[in-house]
Amino acid sequence: MDELEAIKVTFFQECEELLADLEGGLLAMQDGNDDGDTVNAVFRAVHSIKGGAGAFGLEPLVRFAHVFETLLDALRSNEIPGTADLTAVLLRASDVLADHVSAARGLGMVDMDASAAMAAELKAWTDPSAAPIAAAAAPAEAEPEFEGFTPIVIGADDGMDDDDDLGFDFQPMTISLDAQAADVAVLDNVWTVSIRPKSDLYRKANETGLLLRELARLGPIQATLDDSALPTLEFLDAEAAYVTWSVRLETEQGEEAIREVFEFVDGDCELEITRGAAPVADVLASLMDVALPEPATPVEAPIAVAPVAEAPPPAPVAVSAPVPATPPVAANAPAAAPAAKPAQIEVPGPGQSVIRVDPERIDRLIDLVGELVINQAMLAQRVGEYGIAPSSNLAMGLDELEQLTREIQDSVMAIRAQPVKSVFQRMPRLVREVANMTGKQARLVMDGENTEVDKTVIERLADPITHMLRNAIDHGLESPEERKAAGKNPEGVVRLAALHRSGRIVIEVQDDGKGINRERVLSIAVKKGLISPDLTLTDEEIDNLIFLPGFSTADKISDVSGRGVGMDVVKRSVQALGGRISIASRPGLGSTFTLSLPLTLAVLDGMVVDVAGETLVIPLACIVESLRPKAEEIRPLGPTGSVLAVRDSFVPLIDVGLTLNYRDRSPPPTEGVVLLVEGEDGSRAALVADAIHGQRQVVIKSLEQNYQQVEGVAAATILGDGRVALILDVDAVINLRRRGPPPPADPTLIAAE
Amino acid sequence: MTEPNTTSSAETRELISFRVGEQEYCVDIMAVREIRGWSPATTLPQSPAYMRGVINLRGAVLPIMDLACRIGMPTTEPSVRSVFIVVQAGDRTVGLLVDAVSDILSITDDLCQPTPDIACENVRHFVRNIISLEGRMISEISLDRLLPEREALAA
Repeated sequence: MDELEAIKVTFFQECEELLADLEGGLLAMQDGNDDGDTVNAVFRAVHSIKGGAGAFGLEPLVRFAHVFETLLDALRSNEIPGTADLTAVLLRASDVLADHVSAARGLGMVDMDASAAMAAELKAWTDPSAAPIAAAAAPAEAEPEFEGFTPIVIGADDGMDDDDDLGFDFQPMTISLDAQAADVAVLDNVWTVSIRPKSDLYRKANETGLLLRELARLGPIQATLDDSALPTLEFLDAEAAYVTWSVRLETEQGEEAIREVFEFVDGDCELEITRGAAPVADVLASLMDVALPEPATPVEAPIAVAPVAEAPPPAPVAVSAPVPATPPVAANAPAAAPAAKPAQIEVPGPGQSVIRVDPERIDRLIDLVGELVINQAMLAQRVGEYGIAPSSNLAMGLDELEQLTREIQDSVMAIRAQPVKSVFQRMPRLVREVANMTGKQARLVMDGENTEVDKTVIERLADPITHMLRNAIDHGLESPEERKAAGKNPEGVVRLAALHRSGRIVIEVQDDGKGINRERVLSIAVKKGLISPDLTLTDEEIDNLIFLPGFSTADKISDVSGRGVGMDVVKRSVQALGGRISIASRPGLGSTFTLSLPLTLAVLDGMVVDVAGETLVIPLACIVESLRPKAEEIRPLGPTGSVLAVRDSFVPLIDVGLTLNYRDRSPPPTEGVVLLVEGEDGSRAALVADAIHGQRQVVIKSLEQNYQQVEGVAAATILGDGRVALILDVDAVINLRRRGPPPPADPTLIAAE
Repeated sequence: MTEPNTTSSAETRELISFRVGEQEYCVDIMAVREIRGWSPATTLPQSPAYMRGVINLRGAVLPIMDLACRIGMPTTEPSVRSVFIVVQAGDRTVGLLVDAVSDILSITDDLCQPTPDIACENVRHFVRNIISLEGRMISEISLDRLLPEREALAA
C-alpha cells in the first residue's frame, strides 16, 4: 500500500508539472505564439493526467480530463478551428482540471456543478466533430473489417524520433490495406521483416519501438501490427507477448544489415526476413478470420499502466487494472491504444538531465556552509590575535580559505536559487478568476520569469504578488465600458515583472488603469481618521496612504478585496522580509507597485557595532551613512530628546543601548558613532552606537526557531568569536522610540512578568 | 541506587536530577540533549529576566533560561560549576541554567506524588509531580510550560 502511495505522490508531482505545461501551452496559444507542437503538448499534458488518474481510479478526474482531452484532440487534428474564444474556454477548463487534481489529492473540493457546466461547454465545442468520434466509438459499425485489431502504419519520420513525446511515439493512422496491397511491387530493394517478440524480449527491457526505429535507419519502413493473437481481457497475461509486426522495408542494404538490427534480441523474438513485398493480402485474410470473434475491449482499454510497472506489457497494448473500458474512453481508442507505452521509457533528452534533490538536503548543506563561514571567520580572528604578519604563509593561506569559503557559499546558494516562475505561473489563473469576479477584462503579461532568487524568498513572494495583482485588477483597472469611454482598449493589461537590481530582486506590478484617485484617497484617509485633515501631503505621500492599516477605497466590499487588509498586509509581510514596497501612479495611465526584496534570507551584509558592551549587526541596506557627530550638530529637543543636524535637516537621535534596555542612561552622543539609517517608510533616524567594528557578511539565524520574536531584533547571527550577535531591526527600533518616552530606568522592572 | 522493581507493572523512567539553589529538581532523560558548561550568553533585549540570553550551540541559536528565576527564586549567579542542560521542549530546544547536575535516577511511577497544593503559583505551574527517593524530595519540571508561548509582536 505504501508503495502505491509513493507512486501516487509521484503522480501528483507530475500532475503539477503537467498542469503548468498545460497552462503555459494554452497561454502561448492565446498569445498567438504557438507552433504546431504546442497543441500536441497541451493534449499530451491532459492525456497524461488522465492516464495516471485512471491507474489510481480517480473517477471524477478521469471523466473531466477525458472530455477535455476529446476537445483538444479534435483541435489538434484540425477538426475544429482554434479561436481565441476556444482558448479562453480551454484555459478555464485547465483551472477546473487543476481543481480536480487538487481534490483527488485531498486538497479542497471541486465545485461539481461548475465542473459539469465546464464539461458540457467543452462537449458543446466538440459537437461539430461528433460524427467522426462516434464512428471511432463504434468501429464495429463504421468499419467492420477492422474490428479487433488496429493496423497501424508508422511513418518512420513522424514520431519515431522524439523520445519525449510522452507515449505518442506512434502516430496512429488507419491505413487502407487495399492501397498498400496495390503498392506492393516486387522490387529488389524491398524486404519484409516479420517480428514476433517473445515475452522475454520485454522482460529484458527491449522494446519493439526501438527495433522499428533501428530498421527505419536503413530505409523507409511501413510497419503493420498484427494483434490477432491477443486474447480477451480475462485470458490476457499482462506480461506475455501476443503481437506480431510485419514491416515493409525499402533499403539498399543487404540482409546482413537487417539481421544486425536484431542482434541484441537474438532468440527473444521470431524473426523472418524475406526479400520482396509482404504478402499483405494473406495477412489481411488471416486477420479477418481471427479477428472477427475478438472483442475490441482489450485494445481500447484506457492507458492505465502505473508509471513504474515492473515489466512493460507488449508495447501497443494497454493493460488496464480490473477497470473495464468505459464507453467514453473507447471513443478515444485510436489515441489510447498506441499511448500505452509505459511511462518508464521516458528519458529526458541529453543535456536536460535534472536531479531531483530533497530540499532538506540542500538546506542542510547551506547550514553547514554557514558553519564553515563562521568557523573560517573565527580562525581568521584567532590568527589575527596572535599577531601573525599578513604576508606570512599562514595568513595567505587563510585568505585563500576565505575566498574559497565565499565561493562555496555562493555556489551552494545558487543551487537553492529558483526562478520566480514557480510563483508566477500561478498568477494567470488568479488574474482570470479575479477578472471574472469583477467583470473586468484583464490580460496578464509576465516578464523575467527566469529571474532567480533564493528558495527562502520565493516561498514568501506568492502572497504579496497575489495581493498586488488583485489590487491592480480590482482597484486599478476600469470596467470595459469605462475603458472604452476613456479611449482605451477594453482589455486592461497587467504586467508582472521580476528583475535583479543592485543585489535585490525587484517585482513590479503595473496596470494601465485609472491610477490612484488622490482626492478620494485623501478624503477617505481623513474620514477614517488615519491622518489629520490639516496635513498637506505630496502626491507621493498620498499614494502611500493606501498602505495604512484599515484603508480601503473599494466602493463595495467584494470577494476579491475591499476588506481593508490588502496593501497593509502586503507592506507588513514585505517588511518582515527586509524588503520595501512603493507605488508610483499617474492619473489616467495606471499605477506601478514596486516590491524589492533581498535575494536571500540566509545571509546579510551588515555593519558590526558595539553598544553598551553588546555586539550588534545593523543591516547595511538600511544604513545611509555613518559619522562622528560634533557637539554643535546635536540639538536638544524637548525634555529628553535630541536631534542631529545633517545638512540642513534634523534627524532624531536614537540611542540603541537605551532603546533596547541595555543601559539606563545614554552617554553623550559625541563619544559614540552615529549611523544614519533609513526605515522602510523612508523616515530617517540617527542611531547612536559606541563603536563600529566594520562591515561583514553574516549568516542569518532564526531566533524564533527555539525562542520567539524579540522586538527590535530581526534575527541573530554567529560572529567570528563564536558568540551570538543580534541583528538589529531598524524599523522596530525607530518605532520603539517613537512610541513614547523612554522606559523606566530599572530594566528588571519591565522584564519581570 | 535503587533497583527498579521489576515485578511492578509501572514502567521505569530515567530522570536527570540537578540542583537549583538548595533544592533538587529533575527532568525526563529523554528530553535532555546534552549538558554543557557555562559560557556567557548574549543578552536579549525586551525579554523577561529569566531569559539569560542566547548562545551558539554548534550553529544554532539557543536561548538560555535561568530556571531558578523562572520558578520565582532569585536569579542564579553563574559560577564555574554552573551548567546548562539542553532540553527539547516541544519543537524548541532550550538551555536551562542550573547550579549543578546531581545524578541519573531510575524511578517508577508509584514513587511520584502530586505536587502539594502550596501557595506558590509558579511551583504548581512548573512542577509536574514530586518524587520521593531515599529521603530526598525531587521535583519534576514540566518542560512544555517553561517557554513562553510564541507570540506575534504587538503591532
